[in-house]
Amino acid sequence: MVTGLMAGIRLHAIGVTMQLPLDHNAHPVLRYAGAVLTACLCAILCLPLLGRLDLANILMLFLLAVAITAAGFGRGPGILAACLSVVLFDFLFVEPRFSLAVHDGQYVVTFVVMLLVAILISHLSSLLREQLHEAQYREQRTRILYECARHFAGAMTRTQIDETLHTCLSESVHASRVAVYLPDEQENLVFADSVNRAAPSVPEKLVIQTTYASGQKQEISEFAADGFRTVYLPLRGATRMRGVLVLDLPANREDHADDRQYFLEALSSLLATALERLHFVAVAQAAELGMQSERLRGSILSSISHDIRTPLTVLCGLADTLQLTQPELSAETRDIAESLRAQAFRLHGMVDNLLDMARLQSGKVQLKREWQPLEEVVGASIHVLGNALSSRVVQVNIPSDLPLVQFDAVLMERVFCNLLENAAKYSPQDSTITLAAAVQGDAVEISISNAGDGFPADAIRDLLDVFSRGQQESPVQGFGIGLSICRSIIEAHGGRICLVNPQEGGARVVFTLPLGMPPTIEPENVLPGLPT
Amino acid sequence: MIARETVVSHESRATVLLVEDEQEIRRFVRTALHSEHYRVLEAGAIRDGLVTAGNEKPDLVILDLGLPDGDGVQFMHDFRHWSPVPVLVLSARSAEKEKIAALDAGADDYLTKPFAVGELLARVRALLRRGQQLQVVPEAHLSFSDVSVDMARRVVTRHAEPVHLTPIEYRLLVLLVTNAGKVMTHRHLLREIWGAGQADNSHYLRVYVGHLRQKLEKDPAQPQHILTETAVGYRFVF
Repeated sequence: MVTGLMAGIRLHAIGVTMQLPLDHNAHPVLRYAGAVLTACLCAILCLPLLGRLDLANILMLFLLAVAITAAGFGRGPGILAACLSVVLFDFLFVEPRFSLAVHDGQYVVTFVVMLLVAILISHLSSLLREQLHEAQYREQRTRILYECARHFAGAMTRTQIDETLHTCLSESVHASRVAVYLPDEQENLVFADSVNRAAPSVPEKLVIQTTYASGQKQEISEFAADGFRTVYLPLRGATRMRGVLVLDLPANREDHADDRQYFLEALSSLLATALERLHFVAVAQAAELGMQSERLRGSILSSISHDIRTPLTVLCGLADTLQLTQPELSAETRDIAESLRAQAFRLHGMVDNLLDMARLQSGKVQLKREWQPLEEVVGASIHVLGNALSSRVVQVNIPSDLPLVQFDAVLMERVFCNLLENAAKYSPQDSTITLAAAVQGDAVEISISNAGDGFPADAIRDLLDVFSRGQQESPVQGFGIGLSICRSIIEAHGGRICLVNPQEGGARVVFTLPLGMPPTIEPENVLPGLPT
Repeated sequence: MIARETVVSHESRATVLLVEDEQEIRRFVRTALHSEHYRVLEAGAIRDGLVTAGNEKPDLVILDLGLPDGDGVQFMHDFRHWSPVPVLVLSARSAEKEKIAALDAGADDYLTKPFAVGELLARVRALLRRGQQLQVVPEAHLSFSDVSVDMARRVVTRHAEPVHLTPIEYRLLVLLVTNAGKVMTHRHLLREIWGAGQADNSHYLRVYVGHLRQKLEKDPAQPQHILTETAVGYRFVF
């Protein structure tokens, strides 16, 4: 024990290091004992020197011992050593020896100076010690923050971040519980997942949600074990709240409260940045994946459509040219050629439908919406259908003052072609198909009616779904996806479609297209003198 | 009928250049064209096509848009530098952009694959006729259905009654009628009538075409003369 104390004292005597001596943290009794021992030792060492050294120099040695004690053992022991040194010096060295009486009044000054030096030195050294302690504490915190930042920067998964956080927080603030709660896509906090195995209690969930919503730090002790309190820290990212960090911290550690506060704030902002980075990495990856699959789908679709259409074009063309060959074909062969041609074109129609459906179902169809009169696309569709309508008459009732509608002309032509073709297919020859349009509220309502048997009542709802057809074995051939394509296109335009069997008979398809705000067209005056 | 015969016999000496890389498509198009007694030249790539066109001076070019050494638009750019001969483009469906690019580059008409041979031959006839008309002085007086357009006097009549057209409607009508048979893209029409700055305001064009149809067509919703080429433009037919 004595050697330990001596080692501490010696370090100070040599003055080569400012390292914190062990003896400063020692028990007060030991420190006071050390002070007494130092003073006594000094007196014993000085005794043989009496007579060889001047009293003033012996006093200097005592002063040195007091200074060492004050620096090494703190203020109290320093004062004790000073007092003891005065007494010992007086008793052993000052005439009359072995008595506390003092002949020379000047020694009072000596005693006072010794006392003051002891107090001053002990005060200064304890100040220094506090600063050192503070600096070390800060250094440790900074190092931990730095380590965290380094690990966060390299973290690629949530688990890695969590591990770093646990290590760092249990080491620095002795947290007994560390949990991070993050929101899902709908901005709801997820309380139990692969990382947080146990969900918090319902009242605590509320506290966490409040922290998340308000972005304010909260500190309560209700949910923590005895001697601990829970801190709820919002994780604020650059763009939005990223989650909540929950910590159970020892309640009695009130020293460095401000420091701890700054430390936790710095840590939570590091954590928020790391989580934000992970989030954006995930977003970027998802976008990249989406783009790749979109590109792939696009290239597959276009290569399929090219690869299928080329032989179909050849097939249709060859069947067609068969009929042009010389010498003329027999009636029977001619029929075969005609049927070949019809089937090839039908196959082509199906392929078109399938490819359209694939494109629409992928959900990424770019609508090329332009303001245009409905009449135009109707006219174009009827023109395209041509022979397919055969002997049926299409009656178009579109008021001439119908406002412009914004739609993708190619897709809408597809809708009209499909609906008109269906209307023709399921209606008797020479009957009339009526196409009417009118403004209904904030939409244009378009209806296409025929004079057929109507839709089968039990299947009217399913008809719009992919691959369903009204009758199991229809006498008229078709593929059944035409209506589904129409629905996809109309819904992509923000409209609705429904099938009805009107009371007066026949079948009717009604769909709407939103009206919006058509651009204005300045009226043009008929100028006199110009064409009339 | 007699007039038609003479036209056919006149056209039968016409030379058609077919630029298409698919052997089988070439075969049936050739057969079809032969059946109408046209002389048919063939090329499988842009370079060959341009060389053949330069050497043989065809009366019509049928051009596939997807060729091994580039797309048809490139061909059009080069070809239009030195030849006004009509060009009929063959394109896949859902390739509006390429179609429009080819038409803007000077192609006259397009057919979407697969096409009926009858339709192909009809387009070929119409374009050959148009090619011949390019070489004669255009007529000042044209008529279709019950409408007649006198471009010398700037008068349009229907059922012998004058039709009131605004200046823009009149210019649009004249532009369409004088380019009968040719597909006029939205962009082209907008540039001709409203100027280069209005290329995006296609609704203007659509509204004015609608007016023309209401004034001149029997059933504006099922026009017989001013036809819509969806997403591409318009075509006037007599």
